[in-house]
Amino acid sequence: MDSEAAKTARESLDLAFHMSNILEMGLDRHTLSVLIALCDLGLNPEALVAVVKELQRETLSSMTLAPPPPPSS
Amino acid sequence: MEDEDQQKIADLIKELVLRLLSQNPTSDSQPLNPKSPSFHKHLRYALRILSARLCPSIAPDSAAIAESIKRRLVTKGKSSQALTFSELYTKFASKTGPGSVNNKWAVLHLLDIVSEDRKNAGAQLGSPLLLLPNLSLNDAESGDGDSRVLRRGGSKEKGWNNGVLVVASDSGNFRDIAFREFANFVKEENEVSEEILVREVLYACQGIDGKYVKFDAGSDGYVLSDSIKVPRATRTMVRKLCELGWLFRKVKGYIWDSMDRFPAEDVGTVGQAFCAALQDELSDYYKLLAVLEAQSMNRIPLISESVNSGNYLSLRRLSVWIAEPMVKMRLMAVLVDKCKVLKGGAMAGAIHLHAQHGDPMVQEFMRRLLRRVCSPLFEMVRSWVLEGELEDIFAEFFVVGQPVKAESLWREGYMLHPGMLPSFISQSLAQRILRTGKSINFLRVCCDDRGWADAATEAAAAAGTSTSRGGLGYGKTDALESLVDEAAKRIDEHLLDVMYNRYKFKEHCLAIKRYLLLGQGDFVQYLMDIVGPQLSEPANTISSFQLAGLLETAIRASNAQYDDPDILDRLRVKMMPHGTGDRGWDVFSLEYDARVPLDTVFTESVMAKYLRIFNFLWKLRRVEHALIGAWKTMKPNCITSNSFTKLQQAVKLQLVSTLRRCQVLWDEMNHFVTNLQYYIMFEVLEFSWSNLSNEMEVAKDLDDLLAAHERYLNSIVEKSLLGERSQTLYKSLFVLFDLILRFRSHADRLYEGIHELQARSESSLPSQDKSKSRKQMKDRSSEPGSWFSEGRKALTQRTNEFLRNMGQDLDSISKEYSSLLENFISQLPEQQHVDLKFLLFRLDFTEFYSRQHPSS
Repeated sequence: MDSEAAKTARESLDLAFHMSNILEMGLDRHTLSVLIALCDLGLNPEALVAVVKELQRETLSSMTLAPPPPPSS
Repeated sequence: MEDEDQQKIADLIKELVLRLLSQNPTSDSQPLNPKSPSFHKHLRYALRILSARLCPSIAPDSAAIAESIKRRLVTKGKSSQALTFSELYTKFASKTGPGSVNNKWAVLHLLDIVSEDRKNAGAQLGSPLLLLPNLSLNDAESGDGDSRVLRRGGSKEKGWNNGVLVVASDSGNFRDIAFREFANFVKEENEVSEEILVREVLYACQGIDGKYVKFDAGSDGYVLSDSIKVPRATRTMVRKLCELGWLFRKVKGYIWDSMDRFPAEDVGTVGQAFCAALQDELSDYYKLLAVLEAQSMNRIPLISESVNSGNYLSLRRLSVWIAEPMVKMRLMAVLVDKCKVLKGGAMAGAIHLHAQHGDPMVQEFMRRLLRRVCSPLFEMVRSWVLEGELEDIFAEFFVVGQPVKAESLWREGYMLHPGMLPSFISQSLAQRILRTGKSINFLRVCCDDRGWADAATEAAAAAGTSTSRGGLGYGKTDALESLVDEAAKRIDEHLLDVMYNRYKFKEHCLAIKRYLLLGQGDFVQYLMDIVGPQLSEPANTISSFQLAGLLETAIRASNAQYDDPDILDRLRVKMMPHGTGDRGWDVFSLEYDARVPLDTVFTESVMAKYLRIFNFLWKLRRVEHALIGAWKTMKPNCITSNSFTKLQQAVKLQLVSTLRRCQVLWDEMNHFVTNLQYYIMFEVLEFSWSNLSNEMEVAKDLDDLLAAHERYLNSIVEKSLLGERSQTLYKSLFVLFDLILRFRSHADRLYEGIHELQARSESSLPSQDKSKSRKQMKDRSSEPGSWFSEGRKALTQRTNEFLRNMGQDLDSISKEYSSLLENFISQLPEQQHVDLKFLLFRLDFTEFYSRQHPSS
């Protein structure tokens, strides 16, 4: 990618990250970039959101139900 | 390329899952191993979700989504964040070109859903709220994401079994709860969802029966069948919306009907234009319906908080959208009803009446429609006015022609058909149109003239249109009017020009006046002199050839010989049909032959009127002639003055008195006849003629000319006491005339007798030869021989007797005359409709007659 395109991409990502922060999505920059790439490729955003949610729930549930193993050595 | 994409997608998904799973902030477990079975499990799960929902359920409109996000932020009270968001969005959206995000809407939608969920989850702390349908990790079920059916609940439930989740019972969500309850309720009530109903209604609006909404011929409308359980409000709404379908059916039915009748040539051009215009309007209507149908499939994000978002296009929204087409369709249906039985100009007029409406939308619509409907009519008007052509196969035009002879072409050839006259063409305009076309036809047929084509082109140029099709239309009635005016002006001018110059109308009128109305004095005098003796014979012994010869002689002997030979050619003698006992005087008349095109003016009835006037004038002339003849014999001459010196005084006195009485009576009669003659000549004939001349100068078209001539004749007829209301006067006048003629013969006899006596008294010697050479006396006269045997005394006696008898006759005539004349004069003021005061004045300027019997 040439520098121009790279710059545009970076700026777009920045903006999207800001927007997502305002909306308190709880996503970090990298995840967001992956999501944007997937959307751009034509996947259904609703489906992506569902995935995100499910996986987040999984992690949370695994957090709550299965308490993290105590930090052991 | 696609494989590459797929590979990319797979990679990205893996990456995503990895990151999400390792997002766990508290996880201090080992970093996730991409190869662990749990990772794979999650990956498979993710893939299943992704493949389950392949198409988004909203329209890809990123701006709308951004709007909804902003609004949500605002409602949450975070307006500053909303501002920031909108800034960011604008910047984001403005990024185009390589390196930017193509499906921005997708990204926004992502953000949108997430934030929505977050919002709904925001009230809760710690307990996850999920509004996703049930998808268990281990089952292979794909869910239907749209319907969010929620169970009423008051408690916090966190069931993970195959039920669905949640609803918190806290107070902040009362509205939400209420909406959700309502949605539930609605769902239960409706057997058929609103979506389907909307689609059915849209079908009905095109005249197609749907599954639930069908056309019911009994109640004549589209109804939702009663068996379907639908709340009453919905039912009413559906019925109201289906009115449009009913109207559509009516209009479409009419169009199909008309089109079926086209080949049968039952529907006129105006009807065809009407159908075409309706079809155009319907195509607009179809476009609208197509858009609505597309809308009914789509969802767009909702701005309100209504949960029953179902479809964008609800029944109520549909009713708003079809309000305008409903108005138009109603209009069309009304017009269709009106025009079922009409055609041609009547149809155009009926539609025009409906265009008188205050609503600008209706006016615009009607104007469009009318422009098309009236175009055949205007075309017909144009071709009639500029070319005189009447192409009217379906009898739609308001000018109808009928085949007549050339001479009645003007009066009866073309007429207005008031039934077909549209209401936006006024009566006077229609008259002008009729006259213009008539003039062209008249010129073409009767006058053999081609010059009108130039006039027509000029007119068209002056009015700004062309002589070809188009240019005129409904709504431009003033353009039509100006075209008609210009054409009328020029063509009328041309017509009058042709009439006056080529056909010498004025000259012929003058000729008729001079010959038929006895204007050419010397000719009339001569004619009377020659023809007079012939006419005293019984009518059936007179030959018209002889009279024609005499007419020729008369013409050649007078100034009439210098007249135009064409005019003289047309003058003829006519013998009217006679019965027995008629004298020539009663049946003689002159005739003038007016040919095409002048016989439009001088029709049969007009010539009959001229004939009547001629008869009257001829009689008057005859009486005058008779009196003048009497005068010739009554002139004092040596015979009457210095004779009778040998007679006795008494006889002389008697003679003188008789003569005087005769003279006096003659004077009276002469006075009467002369004044009557002058009255007729100056007050009636010349006066009317000067009026006619003036009117001919200012006449603008043939109708004017005809009317002027009509007036001229009528005034002559009325003033000469020939009219219907002057019958009694007329009769008494004729009795007077007869009396005068009788007087003439008496006077003749008197003078003959005197001459005879003269002769007798001069020659005292009997002479049979001389007596035989005397004229024969008509009344009592004895044989010549008896005179002499008696001698002078007998002569005196005879003379006395003769004179006495004559005196008596004269007295009786005189009395009769006075009484008749008084009667006549007294009747004159009773004539209200014509002004006879000049006649009265002339006859009675000293009031001699009216003072004789003041009581009458």
